[in-house]
Amino acid sequence: MSTKALSSDYKAPGGKMLRIRIREKDGRIESAKISGDFFLIPEESLSKLEKMLEDARLDEKELGLLVDRFFRGTKAQGLGVSPDDFVKAILSARTGG
Amino acid sequence: MTETWRLLDTEYPDDPFMNMSVEEAIPRSVGEGEAPNTVRFWHNSNTIVLGCFQSADLEVNYDACKETGTQVVRRFTGGGAVYHDAGNLNYAISLKKGHPLVPDNDLQLVFQRLSEGTVEGLRSLGVRAEFQPINDIQVDGRKVSGAAGSVRWGTVFHHGCILVASDLAILGRVLNVPGVKLADRHVASVQKRVTTVRDELQKDLTTRDVRDAIVRGIERSYNVRLVEGQLSSSELSLAKELYDSKYNTSQWNLER
Repeated sequence: MSTKALSSDYKAPGGKMLRIRIREKDGRIESAKISGDFFLIPEESLSKLEKMLEDARLDEKELGLLVDRFFRGTKAQGLGVSPDDFVKAILSARTGG
Repeated sequence: MTETWRLLDTEYPDDPFMNMSVEEAIPRSVGEGEAPNTVRFWHNSNTIVLGCFQSADLEVNYDACKETGTQVVRRFTGGGAVYHDAGNLNYAISLKKGHPLVPDNDLQLVFQRLSEGTVEGLRSLGVRAEFQPINDIQVDGRKVSGAAGSVRWGTVFHHGCILVASDLAILGRVLNVPGVKLADRHVASVQKRVTTVRDELQKDLTTRDVRDAIVRGIERSYNVRLVEGQLSSSELSLAKELYDSKYNTSQWNLER
């Protein structure tokens, strides 16, 4: 299977935009880029989440656990996007959101 | 005794990269205890200011930027892209972390509390301004000001831009607004969901008039006195360092 470039624009209900670009191979994330007009402090934590996503399966349960681990581990605070929005945004890239 | 904050009008209208360097040097200095709590007002000539998490390629219409002489700079706070020109007034508030106005790290509370002075200032001019979560000040559902902020470097930082007399036609051209965002708000274009102070009041007032009103609004809202001051030499040299290492580089501004 070859690597596919996936992307999606996801608008959190009543909140901000998450724009996802993923390289996917065999159902796994090779690399992920998350951009958008949301707030997240500390700001540097986003690249940590992107790093954690590498090699994760594009699967709701796995992504849910991973995003949860990210927020608990970094004590990051999002505004305009919830942990669940990150999961939904990444999953929506499968169908081109 | 009434608390005193420093008031700065330090600006580099034709150098958005230096403006942004000063924007970061101040909260860093306040957090270090080297500078007092500070309110800064400033302008940029035609510039897109991107939020720190935004993709330049997705948000910026480079062709329109070239045609209109619009530059692109990234700020260190999150939130969305905004367009600055001489008719747009920027303000920034830096308070040492733990200040009783914003005692904890709740960013939504920071936006709400530190927008109050601006709302009060705009109302004193006759604009029916209201804070609209997450980070907007609106008039009848149209955005007149957007804010962003952070809690870092030992500082609670809040900044915002106020559309006083900006050219909304250029604003609508230089920014790509994603379809899903517009659909969500049931409006057809970026131009229709923003307004300016001048349009609201049908009066030819300047960004200086608005700046003066917000100074008074801040003083009344927070029971403080703003006293005109200067950027210190250490803040200026920090800003110059940030200019060379960060804000005047395409790596910081464009690569995300």
